[in-house]
Amino acid sequence: MIFKVFKKQELARLYELLAVNVIVGPVGRGNDRHGKPLYDFDVVYDFDELALDYTQTVHSPKRFVLPYQETLSTFAVSRDAWEKHVDLNVYRPLVFFGMHACDINALNKLDLVLAQSAYPNPYYMGKRKNLFIIGIDCNPEPQCFCRSMGTDFAIHGFDLFLTDLGGKYFAEILSATAFGLLSQINCTDPGAKDHTLYKQATSGKNKHYTATVDTSDLTKILDLEFESKAWDYWGEKCLSCGTCANVCPTCYCYGVEEHVDLDLKHASKAKSLHSCNLIDFAKVAGGHNFRPKSASRLKYRYYHKHRGFVEAFEESLCVGCGRCGAACLADITPPAVIASVRGKE
Amino acid sequence: MQNKLHFIDILGKDTGAHRKEDPDSFEYTLPAEITSIYPLTATEKLYQIQIIDPNQRNRFTFKPGQFVMLELPGIGEAPFSISSSPVRHGDLELCIRAVGNFTNFLAKVERGTRVGITGPFGTSFPLEKMQGNDILLIGGGLGIVPLRSPLLAVLENRSRYGRVDIMYGAKTPAELLFTYQYEEWKRFDISLGITVDRADKGWKGRTGLITELLRERIAQTASLRENTYAIVCGPPVMFHFVCKMLTEAGLPMQKMFVSLERRMHCGRGKCCRCNIGSTYTCLDGPVFDYWSVMNLKEAI
Amino acid sequence: MSEQLSYLGIPLSRPKVGFFELSSCEGCQLQLLNNEATLLDFLNLVEIVNFREGMSERADNYDIAFVEGSVTRKDEIARLTEIRKNAKILVALGSCACFGGVNQLKNRFRDLDWVKKEVYGDFPVETMEVHPLADFVQVDLEIFGCPIKKEEVERIVTDLIVGKAVRHPEYPVCMECKANENICLFELGEPCLGPVTRAGCDAWCTSNRRGCWGCRGPAEGANLKQLEEIMHTYGFSSETILDRLECFGGFASFAETLRAQAKKTPARRKKS
Repeated sequence: MIFKVFKKQELARLYELLAVNVIVGPVGRGNDRHGKPLYDFDVVYDFDELALDYTQTVHSPKRFVLPYQETLSTFAVSRDAWEKHVDLNVYRPLVFFGMHACDINALNKLDLVLAQSAYPNPYYMGKRKNLFIIGIDCNPEPQCFCRSMGTDFAIHGFDLFLTDLGGKYFAEILSATAFGLLSQINCTDPGAKDHTLYKQATSGKNKHYTATVDTSDLTKILDLEFESKAWDYWGEKCLSCGTCANVCPTCYCYGVEEHVDLDLKHASKAKSLHSCNLIDFAKVAGGHNFRPKSASRLKYRYYHKHRGFVEAFEESLCVGCGRCGAACLADITPPAVIASVRGKE
Repeated sequence: MQNKLHFIDILGKDTGAHRKEDPDSFEYTLPAEITSIYPLTATEKLYQIQIIDPNQRNRFTFKPGQFVMLELPGIGEAPFSISSSPVRHGDLELCIRAVGNFTNFLAKVERGTRVGITGPFGTSFPLEKMQGNDILLIGGGLGIVPLRSPLLAVLENRSRYGRVDIMYGAKTPAELLFTYQYEEWKRFDISLGITVDRADKGWKGRTGLITELLRERIAQTASLRENTYAIVCGPPVMFHFVCKMLTEAGLPMQKMFVSLERRMHCGRGKCCRCNIGSTYTCLDGPVFDYWSVMNLKEAI
Repeated sequence: MSEQLSYLGIPLSRPKVGFFELSSCEGCQLQLLNNEATLLDFLNLVEIVNFREGMSERADNYDIAFVEGSVTRKDEIARLTEIRKNAKILVALGSCACFGGVNQLKNRFRDLDWVKKEVYGDFPVETMEVHPLADFVQVDLEIFGCPIKKEEVERIVTDLIVGKAVRHPEYPVCMECKANENICLFELGEPCLGPVTRAGCDAWCTSNRRGCWGCRGPAEGANLKQLEEIMHTYGFSSETILDRLECFGGFASFAETLRAQAKKTPARRKKS
């Protein structure tokens, strides 16, 4: 791995070099009712729009690779035949300027199922392969439990990762493109002092976690506690509104609907991201619902993320960003749910 | 402009093979045509569907137990077990009950309608492994639909198998499917048992549950021979009892195969609709051995 | 215009359609005329035989009747019964027709004579308690919303003609609100019925920073008990919740229970 350091003011120059491309990054979205600043990812047009010291965005960067709604194909229908047209809805590369480790790891997890297993999803892959990612370090928020999930640092899945060393950025370079870019700004190889500062920064981060999830032996415990009363307790609170899945950086499940156009000569097939908490998620043609109770749907979500995915890919489908718990109006958070299923309320 | 990032077109190298490892296979639909429609009961019809291009049709191969996605533009896309024999390649037979939006529309279309076929998807019954063994083919209700493909494959290669028993039950005689073929299946080297839960006036056959047929079959040989395989297709409550009875008769769980129904949506292990835990019914199933089913929460 | 409609080889009939209004603002009907881009295609799909907002000719030989508004006068019952008799499919168009809508707010007052005097002064009209259509006739299809969404009506009409079953989203507005990447209005200090209201509006109000008032009625399996808890957690009174739940009538039964529990009287209720 190649490391470089550069002075903070050089970052604006890096931005300008990349500005021939579309750039997405964290931006401010006002304050909440307690005056706490809110952030989200959006397309930016100026370096000063970027809020690189952001805490956590309300929504995940998911929509840039997995849009909430997407037209998969369109059809031209004539009297006795029809033709299908497929458009992957990706036309240009995208620069992601300032992504935290959890979200980078989330994309890596999505890759496992959407790009690296049977039937890779081209709509996802097209967007994912055209992402240039600049990661940036962060300080844990109260809802963050990424350390428990092993996703507090990103090892791969980015081009460049920046760590704030005070007046300088410590840059980790993973791609030739990123290396080429850095050669155009003033940067140097890190010295012994930079190494020390870097190590201090990362170990300092570890001291700030407040939320934790005990993942030891969790796959088996979820099986053992399949009938636990804890599921009913959380199920009663659950609004079955799908908010948790929508803000989640790794939830990818979806539904497809086809529509005939008003002129009866065209049709389209569109995908919408769904949530396994929605009441009709497991309903089949004819009306039978495999999971009519909200408790069984909520349990299924945990089961998929913390047991099923682990079984299939040896890691969990959760990066511990805590967005789902923060966004849940009924205050259902993974640390609380998993602790209660473990019997440690 | 040297820092303008290079656009990567992931479909750039279309090999035309459309293997399940290729991203271009995802939305690749084979144009096909409904060549005939036979009503089987009041609600089920048998559709003969032919992949239009002769080359594509011959290249289309599947194994008994697998399913295809059938698409009608603007109406939808839905998974259906293939009911025809694998020797017929892309000349498919799908038996479809009109229950939902898609299938109700399908019930109205006529011969000659263009449809899209994607697949085949999913796991299959391991017929190669079953060669040289006795085979029990047990179906209940609509379960005959996924059962018919392995059944035909076994009949076509009868000499490769030991004793073959077919048992099929429906609620009423009117709900029995493929009645026109029973004569064909009733061969000297096949034991065919048909039963209904409730007889009607014209019914001359057996009345009773499928488990009674099975009990008699087991009693004939005192216990099942060691080299026996069972394929069980039907509603969960049925295969639960059947598999329990087979287990008691000494058949190991990994020698019983079932086909599970779930809300399959994408067929490609991507939408999570059919998951049971992490198990995608569409990728890891629909055919499972009974041992795997026992290990799935919510499966039965 | 008279060309035979068909889709995938299935011949389709062009239904005769009538639009009618009982007590309402006729805003739902106006919505339909709102978008010229699709109007011609829409008119090619159906034959409109009765539409006061759009044409002067009238006929009563319609297959589908879209009825907007709620029933607030006795003569409207007779009119509705007549429409039902003529129509093969009767569609309740908009929240007034489905639940009583904004009109049913007056049902909260026990003394209707007082209401009448407040509203009409010395020129009283004959009016009674407000009812949704389904209280008097069989309704085959409901199209929710105040107002309805034109795109949704067009989709439903296309589905009816093509022979697809009409399905409404069963999940609540939150789902669509999050898909628009809105900041939750509760976090911004505003009450919202999004967590319990049927989606389908694409979070029209909340995307414009207006809390949901539940015009589409309850989502399937709506967790109203939890909503009440949330409202209190975020510092909103029972009266604030009731104001919203009672606005369009879709949550009538739950609102009644809640009001009984809270033992609160409506703000301006008079003795009967």
